[in-house]
Amino acid sequence: MLSRVAEGLFWMSRYVERMENIARLLDLGRRMDALPTRENAPLSEWTSVVIASGCSESFPHDLKTEANMATVADHLIRDEGNPSSIAACIHATRANAKAMRIALSSEVWEAVNQTSSELRQQLQMNRDQENLTAFLDWVRGRAAIIRGTISGTLLRDQGYGFIELGKWFERADATARLLDVKYHVLLPSVTDVGGGLDYLQWTQILRAANSTRSFRHIYRRSVDPEGVIDLLVLNSKSPRSLLMAIRNIYHELSMIALPEDPKQQVVLAKIRGRYTQLMDLTVDEIFSIGLHEWLTDFIVSTNLYASETADVFGFGAPATQSQDQNSQ
Amino acid sequence: MQVYNEMYRNQEVRAEYHAIKEWLDRHGPEALLERSSEAEEMFRRIGITFAVYVEGGDPDRLIPFDMIPRVFNAQEWNIVESGSIQRAKALNAFISDVYGAGEILKAGIVPEGLIKNNPAYLKQMEGYAPPRDIWSHIIGVDIVRTGEEEFFVLEDNCRTPSGVSYVLQNREVMSRMFPQLFMGGRVRAVDGYGDHLAAAMNAVAPANCRGKPVLALLTPGQFNSAYYEHFYLADLMGIDLVEGADLFVENDVVYMRTTGGPERVDVLYRRIDDDFIDPQVFNPDSMLGVPGIIGAMKAGNVTLVNAPGAGVVDDKAVYTYVPDMIRFYLGEEPVIKNVPTYRCDTADQYAYVLDNLAELVVKEVHGSGGYGMLVGPTSTKEEIESFRKKLEASPANYIAQPTLSLSTSPVLTAQGLAPRHVDLRPFVLSGEGTVMIPSGLTRVALQEGSLVVNSSQGGGVKDTWVLNEGWL
Repeated sequence: MLSRVAEGLFWMSRYVERMENIARLLDLGRRMDALPTRENAPLSEWTSVVIASGCSESFPHDLKTEANMATVADHLIRDEGNPSSIAACIHATRANAKAMRIALSSEVWEAVNQTSSELRQQLQMNRDQENLTAFLDWVRGRAAIIRGTISGTLLRDQGYGFIELGKWFERADATARLLDVKYHVLLPSVTDVGGGLDYLQWTQILRAANSTRSFRHIYRRSVDPEGVIDLLVLNSKSPRSLLMAIRNIYHELSMIALPEDPKQQVVLAKIRGRYTQLMDLTVDEIFSIGLHEWLTDFIVSTNLYASETADVFGFGAPATQSQDQNSQ
Repeated sequence: MQVYNEMYRNQEVRAEYHAIKEWLDRHGPEALLERSSEAEEMFRRIGITFAVYVEGGDPDRLIPFDMIPRVFNAQEWNIVESGSIQRAKALNAFISDVYGAGEILKAGIVPEGLIKNNPAYLKQMEGYAPPRDIWSHIIGVDIVRTGEEEFFVLEDNCRTPSGVSYVLQNREVMSRMFPQLFMGGRVRAVDGYGDHLAAAMNAVAPANCRGKPVLALLTPGQFNSAYYEHFYLADLMGIDLVEGADLFVENDVVYMRTTGGPERVDVLYRRIDDDFIDPQVFNPDSMLGVPGIIGAMKAGNVTLVNAPGAGVVDDKAVYTYVPDMIRFYLGEEPVIKNVPTYRCDTADQYAYVLDNLAELVVKEVHGSGGYGMLVGPTSTKEEIESFRKKLEASPANYIAQPTLSLSTSPVLTAQGLAPRHVDLRPFVLSGEGTVMIPSGLTRVALQEGSLVVNSSQGGGVKDTWVLNEGWL
């Protein structure tokens, strides 16, 4: 398939995943906001939400003193200048889908197009300001519909592979950042803290990852840091764990990489290496490295794999935008 | 002025329109208005839009769709079809001739200066012989009607005519909303355009193509006003929709950049203007085209559909010679006449135009899209006088035609049915043979009395029916 089309599908899918993850993060912020604050906490919940969303650079206010529900929600929902805001994600999804319509079913296109026109109405009615939870539910619902049309109507060809790759790369990044929130809100060392508030905060992180029920199912005990990290990093059944994301990236890549292309095979081998490494890893080992340090390394290396993947399939260079041209 | 309303014959509703009339009588125009918003919703959902380049314009504007179909019986269609095919053959013969031997110029039938000094004549194309000598594989012939069997060709579009996606989608929407009107096979189906187009492209594979030709459609990208159509046609044929940056030329061969490495392209349906197609040969600033593609074409490694330079016959002064071309190349009389045309580069005709501006339609010879024209009878004195100044500044840039009383077709308005002027653009495909689907794009002026049907000027479209033989 055309490299440009592969690129468009990859990014369309990343933006769908991102809009949902941003909605989850905002929901997390709202929930943490409702908890009592710890006096020596280095940063507020809303500051940590901005950091976890990867938007600290673009946040237009002082990150330490001016991050609150209103400023953060505005930046992460409406701000078109922020490429990760929900509005920007939806626009980017639609722009990519429109350019790649040839590789999509009409159901996928209609779901994306509908999302974009409903967003306009939602924002005009100030739904995000008047009822944040309802708005975030709407965002997550739309993401689910788009994903449903993708899995229900698309051919399982190379294009589908790039859509899956986009989703899993984005999710790996988002889950890692979500776990890192804990570092920013509390003290750097995870095991130093304990008690009621700590428990509540870990629970909210699980909630944001849609994983509270899974936790009970798997561990049959109350929430603790070891369990949360095991679930969101190392668990082989959780759809949101880092292991699951890397395994799927490896799987999708092995389906589309050409056996005769040495460059594609090299990237595949690297990701395979990362996958086996994760399979052997334990929570204790992560703690001994330091959760924050380990997560930072994971985020950096995953992004590197993503850009190497783009390179070997011919879309590594920045995309060129076609100029307007009025032809008869 | 007597205006022909296509729905009536001697004040009676014509039999061709009985089924539609019955539906209207039974349900009333309100029901149709209701369906009309349903149809609009359908168009918007599929994403059929037409961008118009005006400040603050909606980038995803819908072309207004009118729900009352326009109907041709078999006999009327026969005129349209044979006339359009005849014209397409003559136009292709003419383009081959002027870039080749120049017989018609030597014979003094068409003045050489008109062709060789024409901005749309591309010197770089001289001597090129495309497969099967076809330059314009897709031709849109704009036809107007003034009476039951009175048709005129208004202009030819040999460059890159657009609009066929509306023909197919209008039918799709109509048949979903009014299945009962199509029962029994009275309306000829429009399916098969994609097959015809792909067959035509396969038939003109370049000399050096081995095996089954690889086809692709080249678009300027999603910001182009006709992007929807580019997507739609590529999808219909199941071929890749490529942008300039997806293609490159190496050793005179055109390749697409794919995830599996370079893949050779044999036939390229390009929807980029001549000027932008190859910065090495034409506009050097073009970011949209493919450097070296003209060299690849001349080397017989790729066929461009339509070939660059074909637009020379779209010129409205060249248009006046098309009947002569038909006689010269085919030895036939034109089935459909030209509109009588005054050339302002000829002294006596120019004098007549100046004296009669208020009665004439004056157009730029290179213009398109309904821009830069004067419709005398519907213009104010001030408009006519300011146009006169433009005309006097460069008479050779203009032609003039009598204001035809274009036929009307009923459209649905909030006040019920009302007659509006229409034209027709059928699409002629040339490959192994020359064929047409039994329909065309009916464009309709939505303003009362207006004669301008272009979508860029607020015109709308209708579904166009051709009845099967035996259904009148």
